[in-house]
Amino acid sequence: MSMIYLDHASATPLSKKAKAAMEPFFADDFFNPSAPYLPAKRVREAYENAKSEIAHTIGAKANDLVMTSGATEATNLAFSVLNASTRGPDALYRPSTPARLSARGAAGPLNAPPLVLVLETEHASVLRTAENYGAGKIKVKPGSGLIDLDNLKSKITKDTVLISVAAANNELGTIQPLAEIAEIIKSERQARLKNKNPRPLYLHSDASAALGLLNINVARMKTDLLTLSSAKIYGPKGVGALYVAHGVKLKPLISGGGQERNLRSGTENVPGAIGFAAAMKETKDHLNSAAKTFENLKTIFKNSLTDELNGEIEPVFLGPKKRQLANFCPVSFPGLDAERLVYKLEEKEVYLSTGAACAASKGEKSHVLKAAGLTDKEIAGSLRISFGRLNDEAKVKTAANLIADAVKEELERLKNA
Amino acid sequence: MPSPAAVPKTVFLGMSGGVDSSLSAVLLKEQGYNVVGVYMKNWSKDLPGMKCPWAEDLADAKRVAVKLGIDFRVFDFETEYKQKVVDYMLSEFKAGRTPNPDIMCNQEIKFKLFYETAREQGADLIATGHYARISPHPCLRKAADENKDQTYFLYRISEDALAHTLFPIGDMLKKDVKKLAEEKGLDNAYKKESMGVCFVGEVGMEDFLKEYFEPNPGPIIEIETGHELGTHEGAIFYTIGQRHGLDLGSANKGADAGLPYYVVKKDITKNIVYVSRNLNAEDLWTTELDLEDIIKRTGDALRGPAGSEPKASESDGRYNATAPWDAEGRRPTGPVRIDVRLRHRAPLIPATLEGNKLIFKKEIKRPAAGQSAVFYQGDACIGGGIIKF
Repeated sequence: MSMIYLDHASATPLSKKAKAAMEPFFADDFFNPSAPYLPAKRVREAYENAKSEIAHTIGAKANDLVMTSGATEATNLAFSVLNASTRGPDALYRPSTPARLSARGAAGPLNAPPLVLVLETEHASVLRTAENYGAGKIKVKPGSGLIDLDNLKSKITKDTVLISVAAANNELGTIQPLAEIAEIIKSERQARLKNKNPRPLYLHSDASAALGLLNINVARMKTDLLTLSSAKIYGPKGVGALYVAHGVKLKPLISGGGQERNLRSGTENVPGAIGFAAAMKETKDHLNSAAKTFENLKTIFKNSLTDELNGEIEPVFLGPKKRQLANFCPVSFPGLDAERLVYKLEEKEVYLSTGAACAASKGEKSHVLKAAGLTDKEIAGSLRISFGRLNDEAKVKTAANLIADAVKEELERLKNA
Repeated sequence: MPSPAAVPKTVFLGMSGGVDSSLSAVLLKEQGYNVVGVYMKNWSKDLPGMKCPWAEDLADAKRVAVKLGIDFRVFDFETEYKQKVVDYMLSEFKAGRTPNPDIMCNQEIKFKLFYETAREQGADLIATGHYARISPHPCLRKAADENKDQTYFLYRISEDALAHTLFPIGDMLKKDVKKLAEEKGLDNAYKKESMGVCFVGEVGMEDFLKEYFEPNPGPIIEIETGHELGTHEGAIFYTIGQRHGLDLGSANKGADAGLPYYVVKKDITKNIVYVSRNLNAEDLWTTELDLEDIIKRTGDALRGPAGSEPKASESDGRYNATAPWDAEGRRPTGPVRIDVRLRHRAPLIPATLEGNKLIFKKEIKRPAAGQSAVFYQGDACIGGGIIKF
């Protein structure tokens, strides 16, 4: 196979180990884990073991996880914390009139304080879900896309219930300082205790992009809710999980037979969970070596590309210099149309994206790159490149050559136009 | 097909991402034109359960353009499309007529706005992947592929636009278009063809209209007996000849049980839908149609300027048409024998045009008001008009 795949941030191939682990649970051990006979009980055990394995890799217990159909569902479920009732007069975390109504233009106080604060560069699954609750946006710093902590501090009010910041951004690869965010949240909680403000404050983080490269640990990161995805770590698609810390109450999105501690009904996706667990273990085992490998590939790629272009155009490597996921290498060729590069390279079997796949498919400019202060020209000319297990030094060098060729061809075409 | 001069002419080609316009791009490039691919972003509305997949279409169109190494632009016509096509369509439905938005789209968007914008941006010519042909002078002619001929949708486009238009695949059969597209490596060669109006997508006209018009229940009345058989959701949602969606199951008893009811008449002011089980119901058939807003495509153009008489051998030998009227559409004053098409791909019916009236020898099934009757003589599409109540 001569394909060169440079879009691991968008999808990863199922690993051999994960595939093998899943195999028996499609047709042989197909039983419903809730059924009463012995073979079904064994399926239940295998399922619970898989959940435990996933939980352990992030420093949690099986019971802290709710398995979902992927990261998007997990995030939607996490946001249900805003609908979950608690005891007492503060039954719903809402201002007197629901903010969600005012967000839709219906009746509601114009200045209802947002219950949720999300980083402006979050994935659509976070942004769109947050919009339902009339969310406030936390600014990022230009260039790096790192959270502006002062901006966060200034936006927290006594009404804030949830703050959502991805562990790492899925376009720029920016690694956010979650521990520092957790510190800010901690001091706000202490202030509320002092002021006898019973309103809780939770931290949610989408770890989908970070899971394959960073040591994700809920105790260290101090997140109350954490979104996990199997699809980006060489596990099966359509499988994810939400970590829910003790005492955090959610409202199920899906009602039914009461699986997953009543938080996510529906017969368990047994092969999915088992594949996720196998992929997770494999990822965790190779975490350190993966980071080294990809840093190396990134350096080779950057150097080859710059050399090949020979000054005809200066590639602009995007994102933070230090706090970037090792496998992320977004790059822009200002003045060029990145989409044309994608289609040109597709003919050479080099596959990569422009901006985020979701944004691209709707024909909209990447909100992430915009928030990070890139110019329209830089955004239009930007490629999202993410390395992974399908890449090695030779492929990355070839890719750099082919990308440089495509860039030169486009420069030539523009010159003649 | 006129061949480009020494300095290549610039053609702006409307590209939809489908096989027809994609192959058109290839052919124009091979013929030596300087081709600029254009995706026209028209208005689309997200409806529950359906989305007009324009983003994917745009990507497909752009992919082809990039592979051919041609320039590609997006013309954003959303506002104009909404005004000129969608609003027109809705107001027609409101008036109880059944308009044809594709005809309006060609008249107002593709062969007006697109044409004008392309010219402003340096185009000598425009092109589209329509199945139709143009003879010099110009004359709009049916496509080589009778079954795919799209002149029905094109009869209202301006002479000026037509004089600057190329239909690169008009001489080809659809099956050859597919075959050639595959040979040329266009991987969208098997892409599903979009059916119907883009902005309605797959959701269907009725669901689309229900987004705009509140249900307005009224009686369904059997035309012969005057019996009220049931309730409809609003007369504007129904079209003459329609037999689905009447929900008359319980009323469908008796000797004729099992035979479907047809909508034979609508009274928009009283909000009544009349139905019949009798396929011979008087209101379903007619020998006459009144037209309005008649377009007479310049007949003299068929003969062209002196000395440029087209030869019969120029095409398949059927090119012998001469429109019966002059450029002003005045001549002659008496009745004129023509062929008429009442729906896209419907067979041609011989008729006589007398003033604003079409007269048929045999009874025809009455088309819905607002639809177009399109005129032909031989291969030439020589105009048409909109059917009145």
